[in-house]
Amino acid sequence: MELRAFYQEHYRAILGTTSVLTLIVMWELLLTFVIPLNPFFFTKPSLIAVAFKEQVIHGALWSDLVVSSRAFLWGFSLAILFGIPTGAFMGWRRRAEYTLDPFLTALYASPLVALAPLMIVVFGVGLLAKAMLVFLLSVFPFIFNTFAGVRSTDRLLINVVRSFGGKERDLYLKVIFPSTLPYIAAGARIALGRGLVGIIVGEFYAASEGIGFAISRFGDTYKLPEMFAGILVLMIGAVVMTEGMRKLEAFLAPWKTSQQSR
Amino acid sequence: MNRLANFYNEREHYLLGGGFILLLVLAWETLPRLVTLPRGLTLFFTTPTRVVEAFYQLLVENKIQHHFYVSSIEFLFGLSLAIAVGLPLGLIAGRSKIIDAMVDPYVTVFNATPRLIFLPLFILWFGIGMWSKVMIVFIGAVFPLLINTQEGVKNVDQVLVNVVRSFGANEWQVMRTVVLPNSVPYIVAGLRLAIGRAVLGVVVGEFFGASEGLGYMIASAATNYKVDVVFVGVAIFMGLSLALTLWVKKLESHLSRWRPEETKTF
Repeated sequence: MELRAFYQEHYRAILGTTSVLTLIVMWELLLTFVIPLNPFFFTKPSLIAVAFKEQVIHGALWSDLVVSSRAFLWGFSLAILFGIPTGAFMGWRRRAEYTLDPFLTALYASPLVALAPLMIVVFGVGLLAKAMLVFLLSVFPFIFNTFAGVRSTDRLLINVVRSFGGKERDLYLKVIFPSTLPYIAAGARIALGRGLVGIIVGEFYAASEGIGFAISRFGDTYKLPEMFAGILVLMIGAVVMTEGMRKLEAFLAPWKTSQQSR
Repeated sequence: MNRLANFYNEREHYLLGGGFILLLVLAWETLPRLVTLPRGLTLFFTTPTRVVEAFYQLLVENKIQHHFYVSSIEFLFGLSLAIAVGLPLGLIAGRSKIIDAMVDPYVTVFNATPRLIFLPLFILWFGIGMWSKVMIVFIGAVFPLLINTQEGVKNVDQVLVNVVRSFGANEWQVMRTVVLPNSVPYIVAGLRLAIGRAVLGVVVGEFFGASEGLGYMIASAATNYKVDVVFVGVAIFMGLSLALTLWVKKLESHLSRWRPEETKTF
């Protein structure tokens, strides 16, 4: 009886873990006993685990990760610094919205990653091109979500602050900023995914270091376990960051269970 | 004067938006004529007229049609495959709590990870031809479709389901009469996202290990400093994305025209 109650409470976690474990075990068993393993084509979990240990725990992949994170952080910070003020400006000034919105929407809707080869030719294969690519891809969620956040600020709250003699500064600090923050956090989650795309494409295309480069190099040299280990590292990083953003969102706006975003 | 002001006030929205874009294009066009650019920069610089000329040239010489064709085929195959897999899986996962719980870890992980990371693997598995691109388009587009379909199915009005059940409907009939029509807006929203991912997949997939397609055209033009050709490719992708987005929006309002006005946008 207690077991059933436990299952009822945690059935999602139990079933999820079971399905992942089943897949891993099946994968391992199938390639060990049923299908002969062709190491140039496929690999199995035990080999990936060995490669993971070697690459991550013994640190062969760390320098690549550092290189990628540096470019990512530069681009992402630049996107925050540029995107939030632009979005806020569009939210405050109606004419600024009219002027900028069509242009920026068109850019947001189009696959700007197509500019990657040009950016690499112009800015070189180093940090600058990758950072610019990350910036270009991740700035739009910040712009549009800040814009939406400022626009959706409750007029009533603004009027209340005004009626109680609040100054312009109080308005920004006490109403607009807090009510926009959850939108920005939601934007940051989208920007994160797009920024990762930028890093990966930049490093696939032309680089001599970085996690994307490492993965494509392992692919080129048929080191499949190492390649899967690299993908695994990237997956873990992406999930940790995305879930972190989600937590941040929930923390900043506990009254909103799910966020509408563009 | 007053009429002019009226004219402006009525159309301020469009005038400002269109005017700004026009201004940018004009500035881009006239910049090299007003100031002499440093020599290093002229190599990477082009003007809108040169881009249009390059586009015309490529069309006349029949150089772009084949690339366009290849990219479209990859896009269509990948997206159709994503719809064929994502939609049913989303419907099932939305109706069954057990399958939802079992699929959830994979969906979460793959959705958070940029799926482009599988490109080297797919090139290894499917070769440098069309299929590795189709697969990268597929894996990019399938998750938004799956997640949105599932969300739509979950948000179905339980009262309606119960009504249909009381009248003796089986699971298939419930699906067809209540669940599917109700999830249409979600599915279309998912389709919109999926199209974006699919275009991304086509572009990036063709950057590496390809010998045809628009992405390949862009990449090889960039390495040969043919900046105008790069912008031709980028402009085509921009135009296609905008057209497809508008089309999906149209589809959305068409499919949900029977809905009361306030529930149309979710």
